[in-house]
Amino acid sequence: MRSLFLKIFLWFWATVIATGIALLFTFIFGPHNVPSRWHATLEDTARYSGIIAVEEAERGRAPAASAYLEQVARETHLRACLFDSAGGLIAGSDCGSFQSMTSHVTMANPSGFSMRYGIARVALALQGSSGREYIFATELPAGPRAAIGMERRSFVLQWGIALLVSGFICYLLTRYLTTPILRLRAASQQLAAGDLSTRAATVIERRHDELGDLVRDFDTMASRIEELVSRQRQLISDVSHELRSPLARLYVALDLGRERKGDDPAFDHMEKDIGLLSEMIGRLLTVARLDTSSQRLPMSSVDLTEIVSQIVRDAAFESRERNGGVELTAPEQFFVQGDAKLLQSAIENLVRNAIRYTEPGTPVEVLLQSERRLNTSFVRLTVRDYGPGVPESELVNIFQPFYRVSDARDRQSGGAGLGLAIAERVIRVHGGTIRAENVAPRGLRVEALLPHPPLNSREPSSSA
Amino acid sequence: MESVLIVDDDVELCRLLAERLGPEGFAIEAVHDGLHGLERALSKEHALIVLDLMLPGLGGLDVLRRLRAQSPVPVLILTARGEDVDRILGLEIGADDYLPKPFNPRELLARIRAILRRTTQVASTAGALVAGDLRLDPAAREVWLNDTAVDLTSVEFALLESLLRASGRILTREQLTESVLGRKLGPFDRVVDVHVSNLRRKLGPAPGGERIKSVRGSGYLFVARSEADSRRKEADRA
Repeated sequence: MRSLFLKIFLWFWATVIATGIALLFTFIFGPHNVPSRWHATLEDTARYSGIIAVEEAERGRAPAASAYLEQVARETHLRACLFDSAGGLIAGSDCGSFQSMTSHVTMANPSGFSMRYGIARVALALQGSSGREYIFATELPAGPRAAIGMERRSFVLQWGIALLVSGFICYLLTRYLTTPILRLRAASQQLAAGDLSTRAATVIERRHDELGDLVRDFDTMASRIEELVSRQRQLISDVSHELRSPLARLYVALDLGRERKGDDPAFDHMEKDIGLLSEMIGRLLTVARLDTSSQRLPMSSVDLTEIVSQIVRDAAFESRERNGGVELTAPEQFFVQGDAKLLQSAIENLVRNAIRYTEPGTPVEVLLQSERRLNTSFVRLTVRDYGPGVPESELVNIFQPFYRVSDARDRQSGGAGLGLAIAERVIRVHGGTIRAENVAPRGLRVEALLPHPPLNSREPSSSA
Repeated sequence: MESVLIVDDDVELCRLLAERLGPEGFAIEAVHDGLHGLERALSKEHALIVLDLMLPGLGGLDVLRRLRAQSPVPVLILTARGEDVDRILGLEIGADDYLPKPFNPRELLARIRAILRRTTQVASTAGALVAGDLRLDPAAREVWLNDTAVDLTSVEFALLESLLRASGRILTREQLTESVLGRKLGPFDRVVDVHVSNLRRKLGPAPGGERIKSVRGSGYLFVARSEADSRRKEADRA
């Protein structure tokens, strides 16, 4: 079946037909006995036409009785037959199906009941005015309640089965329609979360309808996005790489010039800028590498406390004139699984960024603490400055490469807006999260959460 | 005049380097592809090879691997940063030191000089250094393990010599970097550690246990074990 339209159409149609068949079956396999409460009324109704038929039969013999019964059949569509006491047919047509009932009816047991296709059948023993005995059998409408069955238990059973069957069919249908949609949704959520290699077709069975097409279109789209993003990242990587060759030559040429013409402040200036360019390209390459790296980093146990205190020591020394110092609070030694070099550069970027923006004379506070969330333990690194902060609407963007807050934070920094981008990516490839928030009365607080391995995998503290 | 071979596909950079290093007393020969570079490096005409890892045709690492199979000539590799894996691999294959591109030419000069100083140094103390089954002859620049000659690169030789001379004492990673590579230890600098692990692999374990011991947080130590000591241990075991 190629089309979803046809599929839904056929499914609904099949459901309706199945319901109809089920209804039919309830009549066919419906009760064969008439509930005893109804016997008296049915018997009265049957006796009324039975007596007329017997009178006709006694008066005008068989043909008159037949005429009467045919008239009844024409008017009510109910068949009726008149037999003699031995079961021989006197009047009526098509009476074979009554035969089985007549044998049970005698003067001693004057009535018999049965139910067929929802119609009650009554056989009565009647005595004519001549004293002759007859058996009158007729169909009578039993009403839907009788047809479906009056016993509560069988009613519940039958409707229970009907509900179950129809419910099951509808469940299958709904599942058939919604499963691929739900999976597609999961795949697109994964894609949106950044896993560009997600494909939906791998989890959805091969289908040849509109849903299958949708899934394949989704995959095509996902491949295209992945290709575009990876090409863009590759471009950053390639461009940075290519920039290095002329830069390397520039370095040598500059040095040659210095050798020939002697020292000149202009050469120092050039060298400083070449160094800056080189540094920026290195950072760009780091960002590109962290963005494109598909394989896991080589992880080892890293003493985070040691790294942070080293950075804080260096930073405090370098910024001793301008700032109120860098304060570190680390209650214990924390080990995390990671790449020491990357973690070092990430944390250094955070601390340097804070030093750059904190007001002269105010400190930068660095805090390391452990934290448990959802049964997982984390190390929380907080870096807080007392600077102008960042407009609330731009807090999310400060981790983008080359992102600059328009007014407050100026361009005097050497890092060219890559420091926080690197920090964010490093924390992310370590399975952590990072976020920034403004704190009252002023200042910015950046918080990084890094997964903290359980106790037994931690390395013992340095013994040497 | 020391002869230095530069293998780099950047023709212009090679020309500039030749111009810059010439007055410093180096004769520069530049080759721009891997295969030709390997051929020239094997000619034994050069005191040192500067090898870029990004080469057309035969890659820098392959050049190094094939070169090391036949020659202990000092090799300084140039890497574009972001190729940390290549750098470590290069050192493991047997490069002596590395420099990330772009580099300050004065830094390159300093590194070349440092390596050459270590490797062409004529040992003043001519006597052979012996430690158990291991014998190092500084004059002949040879290392013997029992009666088998051990193939060491120039930096590995210098490293082993430093360790042997300080046998039984801890040498810090700073000291080793300075004495073997002639430069300061940088942050996250694992060059010495890679060389030590190469050396351990080539020497194998001593009869009585490991030869070069890592002292966590400080450095490395050549375990002093007299011949008698190791003989006694062997006897004990027997």
